Amino acid sequence: MNAQPLISCRQLTKIYVMGKTKLYALNNIDLDISEGEFVAIMGASGSGKSTLMNLIGALDQPSQGHVTINGNDISELKPKALSKLRNETIGFIFQQFQLLPKKTAQQNVELPLMYRTPRPSNIKDMALACLETVGLKDRAKHRPMELSGGQQQRVAIARALAGQPKIILADEPTGALDSKTSIDIMKLLIELNAQGITIIVITHEKDVAAYAKRIVEISDGKVTSDRLNMEAA
Amino acid sequence: MNIISTVGLAFSSIIEHPLRSALTSLGIIIGVASVYAMLAFGDAAKAQVEESLNSISSRTMQVWPDWNRRRSSQSRPQMPFTEQDAAEMRNIPGVIASTGNLQGSNATIATDTNDVSGNALGVDADYLKALGNEILLGENITYADIEQKAPVAVISDGVHNRLFEGQNPIGQTIKVNNVSFIVKGVVTKADNNISFGNDDIFAWVPLPLARDRITGGNPFVRNHVSSLRVVGQLGADLNQVEDEMDVILRRSRDIKSGAPPDYRIFSSRAWRQQAADSTKTLSYILAAMGGISLIVGGVGVMNIMLVSVSERTREIGLRMAVGAKGSTVLIQFLTEALLLCAISGVIGLLIGFGVFKVTVDILKLTFNFNPNVALLAFSSSLIIGLLFGFLPARRASRLNPIQALRHD
Repeated sequence: MNAQPLISCRQLTKIYVMGKTKLYALNNIDLDISEGEFVAIMGASGSGKSTLMNLIGALDQPSQGHVTINGNDISELKPKALSKLRNETIGFIFQQFQLLPKKTAQQNVELPLMYRTPRPSNIKDMALACLETVGLKDRAKHRPMELSGGQQQRVAIARALAGQPKIILADEPTGALDSKTSIDIMKLLIELNAQGITIIVITHEKDVAAYAKRIVEISDGKVTSDRLNMEAA
Repeated sequence: MNIISTVGLAFSSIIEHPLRSALTSLGIIIGVASVYAMLAFGDAAKAQVEESLNSISSRTMQVWPDWNRRRSSQSRPQMPFTEQDAAEMRNIPGVIASTGNLQGSNATIATDTNDVSGNALGVDADYLKALGNEILLGENITYADIEQKAPVAVISDGVHNRLFEGQNPIGQTIKVNNVSFIVKGVVTKADNNISFGNDDIFAWVPLPLARDRITGGNPFVRNHVSSLRVVGQLGADLNQVEDEMDVILRRSRDIKSGAPPDYRIFSSRAWRQQAADSTKTLSYILAAMGGISLIVGGVGVMNIMLVSVSERTREIGLRMAVGAKGSTVLIQFLTEALLLCAISGVIGLLIGFGVFKVTVDILKLTFNFNPNVALLAFSSSLIIGLLFGFLPARRASRLNPIQALRHD
């Protein structure tokens, strides 16, 4: 393990100004996540967990404090550098899959590679390899509408993997799936973690968080609990 | 994203909504088609007008007695024109032909076996040149023929066809009002003159012979001619020529400058210029109308691009989350607008070309493909694409990925 954590939050604060009232979505959070961890960030809706995910995913800027991802302070990066950081370091998984409906599974998986500079020459092979990892190589030419919910989320996971990221950031990855499919998806994430990818899952479900080695609970913008999950580890 | 995949993506998002894209294109297609057709039509009309302005009849000035002159016991009688007037005008700089002629009433032109009714004119050597007639056979009357009162005649193609039935008339004898002439040449009648009934039946004979034996003349004035005709060089200042003609005429008939003349100088270049100007104005107006429809089409493109951006908000958010830069998204949407306009531009050009071809055929203009006009019409569609595609593209590039991803 590196001496420096992969993700490091210091006095992280995010304030939303609603008219005259200031809403502290995140209030002075310190959090380190090291390479290879499987972390669940848990909290009820409105707890600030989505805000935290946006910051960790370099999609948003903090009001105060710092987020450092793979050695880069996101407050100091220009939009172009942030795009590059997201493209090369982070893979996103969303609750609603966010697949492009008119594109095939393979084209969806190729997406992060299309935005990479310099552009890899073997985008197609890389995408197919990722689809194989999630067990959907035979569905490469199918469009999202022709796939089940679980399969769609697998395509989304393949897309997150395509960029060969250090971190996979999953926002309620099982929120739109039934419990059996959810188990499959979480097992897939455990497999990816075993290959060395850092996994961060944002969820409000205890069952989902139970798969993580470490569970961070957030409430009212503060970390209320940060513990190792002995059963999963 | 490299160029190929940017264009490819733009192309696929155009064909993913075929009806919408087609309807959007329609505005640009009509715009480009009308801009092209109008500009090309204006171009062709301009060529036509220039040809007309440079034609020999446009460069011709005719001098006739002023028939509308107020007559009274004080005013002196009208002075006839003379060969001397024509000869002096021949020396004006910029004049290529200056001629006087005697016009008689109807004449009978006959061989031993045939005859036709037509016109006989007494002319000098410049006359046929001034009319723009071309010599088909033999040669023109010369000043030597006039000097020697040689009994020669030049006949029109029409006379040749009717009296000689395809045989060579040169050297044959014809009789004009029972006066014998030897045929020296055959000419075509230039078709740019206003013409009447038997307008292709002409015999031209040397002026003095005509005066003595056919048309008769003014018994008091030697060298009398009925009218004068002066042709300017291409590019000569014809107003200047006309002024000098006026000076010569005033001098020869002793009319002080400022006093009302008893003759008039007619020319067609003023109204031809006017016609040219109004054609030019018309083609500008038509092109402006085409331009307006292009702009209306551009507004349509912008409208659809804005719809497209808001429809694809989540897609844009996702693309940004996985690493698309704002500039990449901007270029993506701009490319889409440009591509749509470029495709419409090509179709519009083809339609405009067809419209232009049909117009040219109907108006019997000279067909002339001017690539600059096509290029101008096509690039105007690209400019419209850039202008009206920019706002929606910028809106897309400035979306916040978090909000975009949550967009329904």
